[in-house]
This record gives sequence, structure tokens and C-alpha cells, in this order.
Amino acid sequence: MVPLSFTKAGDRVEVEHICGAGYLSSTLGQLGISVGEELTVIQKANESVIIRIKESRYALGNGAASMVMVKPVKGV
Amino acid sequence: MNEIRLLLAGNPNVGKTTLFNSLCGVYQHTGNYPGVTVDIKEGTRKSGDTTLTICDLPGTYSLSAFTPDEQVARDALLTSHPDVVVQIIDSTNIERNLFLTTQLLEIGIPMVIALNMSDLAEQSGISIDADCLSRTIGIPVVSIVASQGRGIEALIASAIAVQGKKTGTCSVQYSQTVTERLTGISTFLQEHTALISGLTPDYAAIRLLEGDENLAHRLHSEDLTIPVIDTCDPAEIDRLIQEIMIARYKTAEQITGCAVSCSIGRVMPTDLLDQVLTHPWFGIPIFLSFMWFAFQLTFSASVPFAAGLEVLFGTMSDSLQGLGLGPTVTSFLSDGVIGGVGTVFSFVPSIFIMFLLLSLLEDSGYLARAAFVMDRLMQSIGLHGRSFIPLLIGFGCNVPAIMATRTLQSRADRIITIISIPFMSCAARLPVYVLLAGIFFGAHAGTVIFFLYVLGILAAIGTALLFRRMVFCDEPSPFIMELPPYRSPTVKAAALHMWHRGREYLQRAGIVIFGGVLVVWILATLPFGVEYGSADSIAGILGHIAEPLFAPLGFTWQLVVGLIFGFIAKEVVVGSLGTLYGGEDSLASSLAADPALGPATALAYMVFVLLYLPCVATLGVIKQEMGSWKWTGIALGWGILVAFVLAFIVKVIGTIILGV
Repeated sequence: MVPLSFTKAGDRVEVEHICGAGYLSSTLGQLGISVGEELTVIQKANESVIIRIKESRYALGNGAASMVMVKPVKGV
Repeated sequence: MNEIRLLLAGNPNVGKTTLFNSLCGVYQHTGNYPGVTVDIKEGTRKSGDTTLTICDLPGTYSLSAFTPDEQVARDALLTSHPDVVVQIIDSTNIERNLFLTTQLLEIGIPMVIALNMSDLAEQSGISIDADCLSRTIGIPVVSIVASQGRGIEALIASAIAVQGKKTGTCSVQYSQTVTERLTGISTFLQEHTALISGLTPDYAAIRLLEGDENLAHRLHSEDLTIPVIDTCDPAEIDRLIQEIMIARYKTAEQITGCAVSCSIGRVMPTDLLDQVLTHPWFGIPIFLSFMWFAFQLTFSASVPFAAGLEVLFGTMSDSLQGLGLGPTVTSFLSDGVIGGVGTVFSFVPSIFIMFLLLSLLEDSGYLARAAFVMDRLMQSIGLHGRSFIPLLIGFGCNVPAIMATRTLQSRADRIITIISIPFMSCAARLPVYVLLAGIFFGAHAGTVIFFLYVLGILAAIGTALLFRRMVFCDEPSPFIMELPPYRSPTVKAAALHMWHRGREYLQRAGIVIFGGVLVVWILATLPFGVEYGSADSIAGILGHIAEPLFAPLGFTWQLVVGLIFGFIAKEVVVGSLGTLYGGEDSLASSLAADPALGPATALAYMVFVLLYLPCVATLGVIKQEMGSWKWTGIALGWGILVAFVLAFIVKVIGTIILGV
């Protein structure tokens, strides 16, 4: 399990845990970024990422990306 | 006569305002990025014997509002008791949009779903069975293409048909734990229905669990202990909130699964473009290249138009001399109206080109990417990544830019962004640069203008850095932003945006600037008997009184008067110069011939205009958004200080390199 900010462009990962509570987890949750969801890393710039989850694309700054713990999707 | 109040709700950037414009036959600004609408806009439409009052709400992903614009949308949906809500859904991204649908259904208000951009969905290989969707959710679903006006009549008919009726048969299946907790709260609320603002106890229970502070405050003010909310561990409540969100997304997924099918292996050109345009190394140079190209084009493409207008106004001024209108009327029309307003109008081509380029940037979807590209830099200077969009909008006009800070969640982030925005060079300042850079820097005018814009950005950066380090010592809140798909901007839409923004400028030129130059002309004429615009006129006396303050910068009294009246609107600076330098020669010739003016002084003047007081309208909106005279005063004083210091530095260095 690594922070999303440690992934690289092209990685396909599954959200395993979201650190912290309140604003961040609620904001991510309402965008569909919750535990068990799979996402693709489209771009990585320093520790910020652009991800695709289903039909949506989101930019996450390093602060947000470092709070989302992910693991590689098996078979990818 | 039947009257209906209809709310347009939905996620950000799904086409609510485009639909609103189409329904009401009006123009409100649209753009391909989230957060264009930050306040409620109202319009009307007649359909048979029904009058619809239509409200365009800011976009929101859910009813758990975190930012001021989301709170506006949530409050309108929960407390304004609409007759019907039309939820606009982006057909290319149904599941995420249905998350909000599950919440709207829980409120129990009459609803219709408008599946917008159904043409783009088809092109993307997404097939939607609207009838199946309607049967599954239990509300009417209408496919529309708001930008082309397709499906609008059917949508209105559906909205009229469901008004006042309970719609929606689909409900979210929460886990047993969540259901038990909600039942506990709901049972308690049934004894206090007067305190839940007309919401059903079941829905109010969900609101409370999701952290509705207003509702909790109302109950706490009666010394009531709310079950679960006041008795459970906060970590347990967070778990419950997560479970609620997951249950909603599962419901959205189930609905999507039975009504939407996608062709496999679709190409994602947006992903490919993102890999280039947001590249960690090339992203910033690409963005800067776009901006440099935009300023070069703004200057070079507008030159022939501006020259034509200058000749036209010069001819008009000359022809007035032979009409025998008397010296005062002739002076008023020639020096005041043509010299002032006419000079400002000469720069309309530059403004229009600038707005066209800004519209192309907004409509393409690149603006949100630029925010991502700049995020690291923004974070390092203490600004939120999202602040970049208001700052960039500031290049057009500071007023909507300051209002756009409503998309920021933290008050500290909003204040720092608002104080930084006036340093972003709005279009109204462009005529000053085009005029002076054109006269004193010739072929390098475009580069000088680019330098001024960069300087404004640097001043904004310095301001943010200082206020974050010295005043607000916390970190900016995490940056999370939806990136819309890239879309080819249409010539029609970009031209429409350009026209409407340009028209606003022209209206200001016709009213505020006319008023401003009229005052300047009167002050340059009075007292009667003195030479027009001379040192003995009131304007001359006023300019001479303030001139010593600007002596270190080398500004003449005419330039000082321009600055004083520039507070009304920045366009008045050039209008004032046109009035005060009025004469047989054009303004450009008069300025070029003034021995007190040289490249260094002109550059210092442009820097001062760039950075000093925001205009009255901007100041008003700063007060409105900050809700504080103290912060408004700080924004004002800080601008003057930065302008003076930087203009002085430019003057000193410029004099060494360029002469006067």
C-alpha cells in the first residue's frame, strides 16, 4: 500500500484507505474516490497527479494525493 | 395564469448555464471548467399559460456543501421550496452525476432529469436508454443538447407536468448500521419538526449525519442532545458518512448499469493531450508560450483596427472645427468626447481580441489544466491550486475573478487570493500599455506588455507569499479539482463570449468613461478664461498639488490626473490623457513630443497603473466578498504601496538603461 502521490503515470490502482477525515475524505467521497474504487493515473507532476476514475478526471495536489493510499490492481 | 418556480441544479460544468441561456433567451457567461457560476441567476420563460421563473444554481457535487458557491446551491434546494427541480446531467458521465440525484430524491421535491450533451455521449460510444433510466428512477428523463436548443420544449413540458407532484421511486439502500442510526435520529426529530425547516425527519436525519451545521445549531440552541451526532465518537460518524457515500454510489452504479452501455476500447484523446499539456517539465513552458502568443497577437492584430479608428476620430474632430458650434461646445466635443471617449474606443479592437483568446482558453478545457500545472508553484507561494482560475479570470476583469474565489473552501485561501487578484492586469489597463508601449517601445511593445503581465503575476505571488507567511500561517487546503474533457471551441461560442464581454466594456466606455472624461474636461476647462488643460485649470491645479508625491517617479501632472481618475475605471486613465493632451495632434503624437516623458517614465507609469488602486467596482466586490472594511482597506493600501515601490525601482533602473 503506497500513497497515490508515489504512483507513476499509467499505473492502475485501487483505493485501499483514505487518511484523515472531514473535508478531504468527504470531498473525495462525493467525487467517487472511495475505498475499493479503481483508478488510472494519467499524469504525475512531482507529487501531484491527474487520475481517471470511470468517466471523470480529477487533479489532486500533493497534499490530497499523499492522503489516498492505494495498491496495484491485480493482473495489470 | 400558472406560475412555476424552477431550479436548474447539477454538478459543475454540465451545461446548466447553457440551458439557462437557451431557456430564458439571455446571456450568462459559460466556460468549460468547473465553477463558472457562483451565484443564483434568475430568468423567465412563458410556455402556453404558464410562466416559469427559472433559477440557475451554482454547480455542486452533493448537498454536503463545502464552499460558498455550493452552499448557495444547497440552501436554494433545501429551503426555497421550488415547484420543480431540473437536474442537468452530463450524458458522458452519468454515474458521477447520479450521486447527486440520489440526494435530490431524498429531499422529495418534484424532479425532472435533463440528459445534456447527449450528442457528445453518442460520439463517445455511450448509449443511454432514457426510458429505462426514467422507469428505474421514477422521474421523467429528457435528452437534450442545450447548446443547440434541442429537447428544450419536451423538457419544459415535463417540468410543467410534474410540478407539485412527488416523483422518484428509487431509494438508496443503506447498511443496517446506517439505517439504525438514521432511524434513531429520525425518531428524535419527529418530536421537533418545528426546528427542521420543513424537511422530513428522515431526510433531516441524513443531513445531520452528513454534518449539516445549520440544522445541528438550531437543535443545539434549544439545548437538545441529538442522538448519534452528540453521543457517537467522531471517527464512528466519519465511518457512517463514508458508508452513506458508498451506498449512494452503489445505487448510482446500479442505475447506470441497467440504462447505459459503452462500446469497449474507446480512445481517450483527452488523456493523450493531458500527457503532453500537463507534463511535469513541459507543462509550465507550454502555458507561458500560450500566454506570450496571446499578448503578441492581442497587440499586433489590433494595430490596423486601432489605426483606422484613430484616423476616423481624428477626421471627426477636424470636421467639428468648421461647424461653427462655438469654442466651448467645439472644445467639449473635440477635446472631451472625441479626445477622451474616442481615445478609449480606439483600443476596443485590442480588448476584443484579448477576450476572444480568453474565451478560447476557457472553452477548450485547458484552463483547469493550467491550474494543475501551476498547482505546485501556487502551493509553494501559499496559494491554493484552485486560486489559479480566479487569478487568470482577472486578466479579463477583476470583478468576476474576485467572485470566482467562492469556489475556495477556506476563508484564508479566499482572502489571500482576493488581495492578490487586483495585481492581475485586467483588460481595462490594456489601453494604457498599448498606447505607451506603442509610442516608446515600438517593435518591442508586445514584449513590454508581456513583461507587465508577468510583473503583475509576480506581484500577486509576492503578496500571497507574504500574507500566507505573516498573517495566515496555516497550509492551503488540499487541491482537488475536476478536469473537464477537452472540447474544440466553436467560433460561434467564442465570438459570442467575446461580443458579450466586449459589449460590457463598450457600455462602460459609454457611461462610466464618458462621465469620467466629462468631469476631467470640466476640470480642464474651469475656471473660465484659462487656457484649456493648462496648469491654471482646476485639473492642472489638482495635478500640480499631487505631482510632488509622484516626483520620484517622474510623472507629469497630466499623468497624475489620469491616475486620480483611473480610480473610477482604469479605462478613464487613457480617456483623461486624451482629454488633457487634447489638441491638434493625436494623443500618441502629443505624448511622444512631451520632453518630460521617455521610455523609463512611461514604463514606470505603466507599472503604476498595473498595480495601484483597483477600480471602484472591484473595490465594491472586494468588500462584498470579504465582508470586512479592514481587509478592503488592507487590499487598497497594499496595492498603492506595491505600485509605488515597484514603479520607483523600474524608474531608477529604466533611467540607467533607457534614459528619461
